[in-house]
Amino acid sequence: MTDIRILVVDDEPDIREVVDVSLGLDREFEIRACASGADALVMAAQWSPSLILLDVMMPLMDGPATLANLRKNPQTAHIPVLFLTARTQTDEIEQYISLGAQGVLSKPFDPMTLAASVRSHLPPAGDHPS
Amino acid sequence: MSTNLIETILLIEDNLGDARLIREMLNAQGSTRTKLTHVDCMRAAEQHLSEHTVDIILLDPGLPDAQGLNTIRRAHAAAASVPLVVLTGCDDETLAEQALQEGAQDYLIKGQIETRPFLRALRNATERKRLERLKDEFVSTVSHELRTPLTSIAGSLGLLMGNAAGNLPQPMARLLAIAHNNSQRLVRLVNDILDIEKMEAGRAVFNFSRVEVQPLVAHAIEANRGFAEGYGVRVRLEDVRTATDVRADPDRLLQVVTNLLSNAIKFSPADNEVVVAIEKGTDIVRLTVRDHGPGIPVDFKSLIFEKFAQADAGVARRKGGTGLGLSIVKQIVDRLSGEVGFADAPGGGTIFHVRLPCWDHVANLATDRDTKSGAARLLLCEDDLDTALTLRQQLRQLEFVTDFAYSAGEALTRAVATQYHAILVDIHLPDSDGVSLIVRLRDLSQYRETPIIVISGDPSRGRDDLRSSKLNVLDWLNKPVDFDRLVRLLARPAAREANKRPRILHVDKNNVVARALGEIGDVITVNSIEEAKRALKAGDFDLAVLDVALAKITSPDLLPELRDSKGNVIPVVVFSADGANLASEAQVRAALAESHTSIDSLVATVRDRLALRSTRLSREVL
Repeated sequence: MTDIRILVVDDEPDIREVVDVSLGLDREFEIRACASGADALVMAAQWSPSLILLDVMMPLMDGPATLANLRKNPQTAHIPVLFLTARTQTDEIEQYISLGAQGVLSKPFDPMTLAASVRSHLPPAGDHPS
Repeated sequence: MSTNLIETILLIEDNLGDARLIREMLNAQGSTRTKLTHVDCMRAAEQHLSEHTVDIILLDPGLPDAQGLNTIRRAHAAAASVPLVVLTGCDDETLAEQALQEGAQDYLIKGQIETRPFLRALRNATERKRLERLKDEFVSTVSHELRTPLTSIAGSLGLLMGNAAGNLPQPMARLLAIAHNNSQRLVRLVNDILDIEKMEAGRAVFNFSRVEVQPLVAHAIEANRGFAEGYGVRVRLEDVRTATDVRADPDRLLQVVTNLLSNAIKFSPADNEVVVAIEKGTDIVRLTVRDHGPGIPVDFKSLIFEKFAQADAGVARRKGGTGLGLSIVKQIVDRLSGEVGFADAPGGGTIFHVRLPCWDHVANLATDRDTKSGAARLLLCEDDLDTALTLRQQLRQLEFVTDFAYSAGEALTRAVATQYHAILVDIHLPDSDGVSLIVRLRDLSQYRETPIIVISGDPSRGRDDLRSSKLNVLDWLNKPVDFDRLVRLLARPAAREANKRPRILHVDKNNVVARALGEIGDVITVNSIEEAKRALKAGDFDLAVLDVALAKITSPDLLPELRDSKGNVIPVVVFSADGANLASEAQVRAALAESHTSIDSLVATVRDRLALRSTRLSREVL
């Protein structure tokens, strides 16, 4: 079977690296990372990740705006998006879900269980177009 | 620019002499830039604040339509970000103190106000308010900004601990563990600070549901097992014999249990036991956490739920506490309509207890069984039990019977099963927002015209959504609810038999809008002035809708006729299919004239006018 592709979007290089190592604990994950919403749009269209882990507060195009743009493009509209955010208050979580996010993970996260959390948000195998 | 510049003052004062004194003091200072607006009641103040921004509010808490603390709360609710100075009588120090706790920045004692100190007080109040705001923003920003580097640090250390610690030489492994533990503590501290700040600002959202206490406590114990083992402490849950369901927010309740557990574990000597018990009383469920620690020192007992309160700061630091845990517990339990306390345990140690209303009790309370024949039945959609009970109590005195719905889902079920005379909707509900609930109620044919009043804890939220006239909301009340105003609103709808449809006189040459209007009332369509006059003689109307083309010709003749049998003027909506300007506006006199381009907006305006009319009439009646 093919690897599960996870695209990590965060403007903080250190966090990208920690997320990369944390997700790497799951051997079936293939991980790529980028630093901005604009890069994420291009990469999502070209690479077709199984899931996108998206930071909320980024300069220029923030997480919610990136999500909206992903949904507009038929190539990326179906990709599940998980927000990874330092702002997790209940009303904010509801708001992100209403934008069409699959779920919200909070920062700081437990690096030993991050991969499992991400996995639990993946669609069932074979459920997404290749 | 000075942030302290006061350009606009709202003075809320019903004593004209006092108001004149204040004005003179401002004039004496010679400031022409300061504009003073004076109103003499709370309602006018709220109206003013909803339309204008002011730099400072001066408030007399004894007004014709609001008294004491309620006045201060309402002023605060209407303009939470505006500095507030209370003008009190000389014998009212208690109220002055309460005012400060409720968010006022300062108070002045009437009869003892002099110009210079008066102006200084205004400036100081403004400055104090600015600092408060800065503090809130600072806390929130810092907490969020701290999380970003903390994510990298805690994440890296967590990975090292999880993967590499076993392969490291002993001193390094130990240093790594210290760094990891402290990063975790910093995470907890930041979370606690944010939690407290949010709850104090009233921004914490609670989602109530039916919660089984036993599994939740078992889960909390399991999640803290590692923590307990670190202290060499065992946690035991005593057998629970009966079902113990409560009404709570499960995440918040878990936070309460976790904080009590971690407290008990931290203060227990090694090789000891923390015992958790759950018991069911008549209306409540009681949760106790018993430790075998040193007990709480006598002079610390009154401070235990205060922020950053720690009996021995040195001990607390060694224990890794934040000093916020019990303060958070107290705040949450209060919001859950519960009660938290503690006592010395026999044989040493402390027992903390939490009492929460049990589910069956709360569910039973939902139906008002104090039924009087002929009393109008209201539905109150409100998830805060304390607020609901207070309102029911007050409404009971006026012979209203009030059922509760704690969620939007319950509200719809109840509304279908029982025909209510009026519905009160809290804008925040656990399963949906109040606006969506109103939309769904209006979709039910039997609730198309039922008076709906919105209650809100947050003056800003949802208000714009409700402007959509299709919802036909009678009024909007901020918490704490101004009961007098609520009564005035309810007076008419409750007295009126349920479901009476308004009668609309529709004067038009073409009939396209008649069907749309038919959805909201009984429409009599006429196409000449003579027919209109005949219809008016035959029966009363709640509203008239005129096509603009016809109105231009007929208004001088027809308008004087538009009165009901008691001589009251019937509101008029003038409809223009092409959105043309109304040359006839002047001729329409006191009646309303608006131009509209679509049938939808016409229908919306008609709804608005009808709602307004019933409000206005209810005030006239009283």
